[in-house]
Amino acid sequence: MENSTQPVSEAPVTNGTTLPTTNGAVSMGNGAVDVPAQDFTQSPGNYRYEPQLQAQSQTKTLAEPISADEIALYDRQIRLWGVKAQEKLRTANVLLINMRALANEIAKNLVLAGIGSLTVLDSSIVVEDDLGAQFCVSEEEIGKNRAEAAASQIRRLNPRVALQVDTEDIQFKQPDFYAPFDMVIATDLDIATLSTINASCRLCNRPFYASGTHGFYGYIFADLIQHDYVIEREKSNRPTALAPETFTRSIVATSTKKENGKVIEMVTKREIYSPMVLANTSPLPAEQTNSRRRKLQVPPLLSCLRALWEFYTISGNMPSHSHPDLALFTSLATEKHQELLLPAETLRSDFLRSFLQNIGSEIAPITAFLGGQLAQDVINVLGQREQPIQNFLLFDGEEFKGPVYALHPIFPDMDSILEPPIAAPVAGAEMPMPMPMPV
Amino acid sequence: MGRDRFVRQSLGALYSRIKQARILMVGAGGIGCELLKNLVLTGFGEIHIVDLDTIDLSNLNRQFLFRQEHIKKSKALVAKESAAKFNPHIKLEAYHANIKDPQFNIEWFQGFKIVFNALDNLDARRHVNKMCLAADVPLIESGTTGFNGQVQVIVKGKTECYDCNTKETPKTFPVCTIRSTPSQSIHCIVWAKSYLFTEMFGTSDDEAPEFDHSEDTENAKEIENLRKESQALNSIRQSMGSVDFARKVFEKVYKDDIDRLRSMEDMWKTRQPPAPLNFDGLSKAAEGISPSIAQQDQTTWTEAENFAVFCDSLKRLSSRLQKAQAQDAEAAAPSVLTFDKDDDDTLDFVAACANLRSIIFGIERRSKFDIKQMAGNIIPAIATTNAMTAGLCVLQAFKVMREDITKAKMVFLERSGARVINSDTLKPPNPNCSVCGVMQSRLIVDPSRATLNDLVEDVLKTQLGYGDEFSINNDVGTLYDPDLDDNLSKSFVDLGVKTDSFLTVIDDEEENPRVNLSLSISEKSLPGDTKPVQVPGKLHIARKPKEVPAPTANGASNGHAEITGTKRKRSLEEDSQREPKRGKIQMNFNTDGFLINDVVIADDQNDGAIVIDDD
Repeated sequence: MENSTQPVSEAPVTNGTTLPTTNGAVSMGNGAVDVPAQDFTQSPGNYRYEPQLQAQSQTKTLAEPISADEIALYDRQIRLWGVKAQEKLRTANVLLINMRALANEIAKNLVLAGIGSLTVLDSSIVVEDDLGAQFCVSEEEIGKNRAEAAASQIRRLNPRVALQVDTEDIQFKQPDFYAPFDMVIATDLDIATLSTINASCRLCNRPFYASGTHGFYGYIFADLIQHDYVIEREKSNRPTALAPETFTRSIVATSTKKENGKVIEMVTKREIYSPMVLANTSPLPAEQTNSRRRKLQVPPLLSCLRALWEFYTISGNMPSHSHPDLALFTSLATEKHQELLLPAETLRSDFLRSFLQNIGSEIAPITAFLGGQLAQDVINVLGQREQPIQNFLLFDGEEFKGPVYALHPIFPDMDSILEPPIAAPVAGAEMPMPMPMPV
Repeated sequence: MGRDRFVRQSLGALYSRIKQARILMVGAGGIGCELLKNLVLTGFGEIHIVDLDTIDLSNLNRQFLFRQEHIKKSKALVAKESAAKFNPHIKLEAYHANIKDPQFNIEWFQGFKIVFNALDNLDARRHVNKMCLAADVPLIESGTTGFNGQVQVIVKGKTECYDCNTKETPKTFPVCTIRSTPSQSIHCIVWAKSYLFTEMFGTSDDEAPEFDHSEDTENAKEIENLRKESQALNSIRQSMGSVDFARKVFEKVYKDDIDRLRSMEDMWKTRQPPAPLNFDGLSKAAEGISPSIAQQDQTTWTEAENFAVFCDSLKRLSSRLQKAQAQDAEAAAPSVLTFDKDDDDTLDFVAACANLRSIIFGIERRSKFDIKQMAGNIIPAIATTNAMTAGLCVLQAFKVMREDITKAKMVFLERSGARVINSDTLKPPNPNCSVCGVMQSRLIVDPSRATLNDLVEDVLKTQLGYGDEFSINNDVGTLYDPDLDDNLSKSFVDLGVKTDSFLTVIDDEEENPRVNLSLSISEKSLPGDTKPVQVPGKLHIARKPKEVPAPTANGASNGHAEITGTKRKRSLEEDSQREPKRGKIQMNFNTDGFLINDVVIADDQNDGAIVIDDD
């Protein structure tokens, strides 16, 4: 019954440029901030779920304001992000692809936080290995579909959240499949699949996260296309200029309010993103490679992840410990490391060994950390608060390192161009092509 | 293939030690639920869980081992049940108990390979820190508040302990600010909760810890007036339940007391004088306002609405108190009510009373939701921060288990945009720390014959070579010093010094004093021909370090400057490698004892300059 029940959108999805979304498409040019999420609150007709699909959840219609019960349940988080962000969360529809340990963590965090609806998608079967770090499945569920097995546990975490299960292979999904979702998260997949999902999300203007772990190592990639968010701070004596702050971020609006005798400034910032296919061939930001000291700080994990993706694209497999595989992987890693203009000595053999040792593995402390980080970013993005990940987070759980790099097709010799190089890339707009790599 | 395939793959030889490890987790709340899941999945062989708390509705947004049907049940027991399903091969032991209970003594702590603190208060954290130091067991200490989280590894003799840095104490307010010259919402809330509520429904001589009496001598006259006011209010309490009770209370605190304050003209030269309220006028204005307005906790109530909630909650509380008093009329101590943020009758009263007082002093009114947070010291808490922090706890445990303490770190969650974690190398113990900078020993005492004099003469003076200038203290106070010798002839039993309690010997010699000596008592019957008080083995007590470095200041600032969107150029570790001077990082404790990462970074929009505030 739960199989492949797709939430059906009543909103038009064909014209990506006019489709309202939680992010990006909301105009804030007049300085008005804290814009209500128009697609959720203003038109009950946009409500996407058929009540009969929510057998176990308490249906909440859009006309219904947040209840006293919900405020009591979510008290401790509302005190952090406010009722308005909670209201945005409770109507958000999220797709989570591939239910391994990392996705178990993400699902737990999003469902506890009280998102509106979660669809978990996986076509594979629970095997014994899954029991190691996936707390949503148990021994009795070996042989069952992995999304279905996990869903029964996830549902118990918060009966208010509408939970859908999709057991179809992600490869068979058409681009319009993604349109009903406010957020798409894909975990532990290869680069080709991730890029395809990302491209489909761009077609229907949907924010996209990719994440994966290999034992002690992991990453999060974000393509939010164009995302506006509001930060609040005490107003400074110096006026806030509506201007770019970085290559990708600019201040687009400000307004003020009074709170406890203090003047609070609400600053709307806008981040612009690149799709994964471009980010994966982009150089490190210039400020990261313009001094030797800073180059030495970049973990070799970035080169190794790129090498791993390419290895899989070439061979269709993960590297085994056979000699030819190790040789190919090492040469790919070296190549990626050079492309990133990183010094050879940071691609240490002990690191390569440790990385190869961890490929394909999932362990609880790492999936807990990364799943927590990703869910928090998703919650903040849905609530339009806080700086989101821009755009590639590396996590090394052996070294306690978690740097975030903005990987965009901006090449060092183009530094002098001080404009955001990526034209707000909404669907239909032209995407910049990656430039040839300077040697 | 199998459940432990991936931990074997990633952890290698370490996994077999993890499988055999017996570990303790103190606290099964926000961090605890996440941590227990990680520990069970990672395969730690035997896990003991201690928590004295029960489950509340407001826990369910993050403590995922608990559900609606578990409310009011023991956190430790339910956590154990829920987590057992994640891996049936792990042995779990749960205690619904206080970690300070005597059953959890030093020997018991010594049975664990690692202890994890997942606590929410300073007192229990300090206790576990002390026990782990005494038992010489590594402690992994963690804390979260809002988006901030941090993990610290504490190993006796190798790293700083929890108490090597001074912790910020809870905020107090001068009595006169609360009683006479409030200027912020919090002053009115403290007045309503700690003064008015207590005078009306509590034990009136209960003194709230929020009051700071340090300036009392300067205001002796006003303090005396305030004392008279309290007495008058207390006599009004006798008419509780009468028809005009609400009017009497109202006119006393919102009219008569205010008129008296107003008459003290000196006080209002630079402040806006308070304006008394009118009971009859407000009664009229509040006609038709339903008491159910009290359920709207997000809106800021009007003056009349506050009045309606005041009258209604006063009635509710009065009838509760009278009912309770009637029931146990024979009991020695009369029934009282205490403020509880989750008890709506008490919260409604405090919210309405605080707002009415705010109106009088021209202070902004607050919603019940906000007042609950301020009156109840509520710390925002979310699942994701706890999940990340608990993940880091286990990663730190791997370093400890590999006996590679140099790779363990002080780790913080960061939200700068440039990275998501920041780490700092663990610092060596602070030689002046009053907790770990001490000599620790067991003291074996024969309870049938040992006296304090045996400790002073046989052990301290004869065996350890102390001079005359020293004192012996326990958590009650000083038992002995050169001017206090009344207790010398008393037995340990008479002094209440029992097994597993601590005595601290402080050397007061002017020349080269010893570090403090902390003695943990073990009662044992000793052969009659031996001394009745003994220290096992030989003790070499170090001398206090000569130069006392200035203590690291805990700045008054607890504000998180806006850090979104800035790019810190360096991580803390890089900073500390380059510049040995510390002070870039301030560790502050909020009122609930969470250690938070308080790197203050000012975001300057125009030139991108980064200012790291380190005063």
